[in-house]
Amino acid sequence: MSEPLLSVDAIDVFYGDIQVLYGLSLEVREGEIVTLLGSNGAGKTTTLRAVSGLRRPRAGDIRFRGKSLVGLPAAGRAELGIALVPEGRDLWAQLTVRENLDLGAYHPRVRANAARNLERVFTMFPRLSERSGQIAGSLSGGEQQMCAIGRALMGEPVLLMLDEPSLGLAPILVDQVMRTVSDLHAQGMTVLLVEQNLRKALEVAQRGTVIETGRVRLEGTSAELSANPEIRTAYLGL
Amino acid sequence: MDRFVDLAVSAVLLAGLYATMAYGLGLIYGVLRVVNLAHGGVIMAGAYLGWILHGWLGLDPYLAIPLVVGVTFLLGVLTYRVLVRHLPRGAAGGPASLLLLFGVWLVLRNAAYLLFSGNDQTIRTAYSTRAIPLLGSYVSVNRLAVLAIAVVTPAALQLLLKRTYLGRAIRAVAQNADSCTLVGIDVERIYTITFGLGTALAGLAGLLSATIFSFNPGFGSGELLKSFVVVVLGGLGSVFGTGIAALVLAVVEVFAILVLPSYLTAAVGFVMLVLVLVFRPGGLFGQRVLG
Repeated sequence: MSEPLLSVDAIDVFYGDIQVLYGLSLEVREGEIVTLLGSNGAGKTTTLRAVSGLRRPRAGDIRFRGKSLVGLPAAGRAELGIALVPEGRDLWAQLTVRENLDLGAYHPRVRANAARNLERVFTMFPRLSERSGQIAGSLSGGEQQMCAIGRALMGEPVLLMLDEPSLGLAPILVDQVMRTVSDLHAQGMTVLLVEQNLRKALEVAQRGTVIETGRVRLEGTSAELSANPEIRTAYLGL
Repeated sequence: MDRFVDLAVSAVLLAGLYATMAYGLGLIYGVLRVVNLAHGGVIMAGAYLGWILHGWLGLDPYLAIPLVVGVTFLLGVLTYRVLVRHLPRGAAGGPASLLLLFGVWLVLRNAAYLLFSGNDQTIRTAYSTRAIPLLGSYVSVNRLAVLAIAVVTPAALQLLLKRTYLGRAIRAVAQNADSCTLVGIDVERIYTITFGLGTALAGLAGLLSATIFSFNPGFGSGELLKSFVVVVLGGLGSVFGTGIAALVLAVVEVFAILVLPSYLTAAVGFVMLVLVLVFRPGGLFGQRVLG
């Protein structure tokens, strides 16, 4: 079996003295959508922050295309093609939509392709094109989510990590975000998706990992997880 | 009426200088959340740099601008890399960075006492006393030149912040640094450049002041306080707001001469500072971070 695109290997992550992840391991293969599931505070966001380099594990290893990321700062990971669409979007609220997207193409590898990628993002989200001169903070929640995804795509990511992209969105927008994720996957993007909306997440993903208080609880294909009685009662309310 | 025009003209000329002083302070605070107390010391250093280049090498102060800006930029880069980088930021780092940068100011000031003694110095050029008629009053050529630079500088700064990747990255770092690292921006590099830019603006302001006023190693404290007033008045980090605030301060100070004894005009700015902090703490135009 070939080397996975991303492998998280037994990482321990702390916030100050408080341990959030306990020997957490995870693999994402090229071309997959993997979803990371779990309740509030389970450590989903922390896992993504560790992969993107915003939070450094105290133990364990994270490898991307077989190379260890330990010691590589977050900015360098972005250049490798690891993109995170953070929870709550984290746009630059006082910059325009266009400026937010342009900055997505900041690092040298993709700057020359900025015009072409902007075209792609505008085709995918025509709404952003209409609002390109507007301050990002004035967008609706759904538009902000599109802008955050668009910003990540401007960096030509190899691995796209989305942290609760449906949070706070109306159901119709949730469907649209999930469709976007499927479309990107169809174009060959590898996705690591964190969701509270388990049902939707298992619809688009091939595999899922359930974590609980910083440890892996269950792993399996989406079909296996959907059929798991524990999951059905604890998370799907069936 | 003539008196009124005279005062209005000198207020505008003074406003340019105030704005130039304040941009650097506002830029550094806006991006790093650090109050650069060394700002006054750099203004003084800029004045002495111009004085050295003029007195020893015969370089015209206006031709010395690139050199002074370059040297003070490097001074800012050095201050950041060696000292400021290691401090906690924001509210937690407040006292630490205030004390440290105040210390930098003391070092700069005492170095200047050591090198140049405490005597007042001036930069006198052939055009220092030349004046041309304008709107029925006479205006110093030198002050007009200072104003011209004070107009060009923020325009250039605004162009940098709005049109270049570097400038946009500076504004983005001011708003959310984590998002910046996620798109591959080296945030520490942006902080370094910003601190250099802010310091260079202080150096430029010092050089320009030195063509108008006499100075000694203690120069810069009044300038720092006026920069505070302008920055708070203008709402932190807005280039446009800073320009308007500088004009407001200059107009109020200059016209206060009509109603106040001259020894009280210096207090006018601080009264304004207090009033603004009490009634409009976000500044006259509201709080926006390099928007």
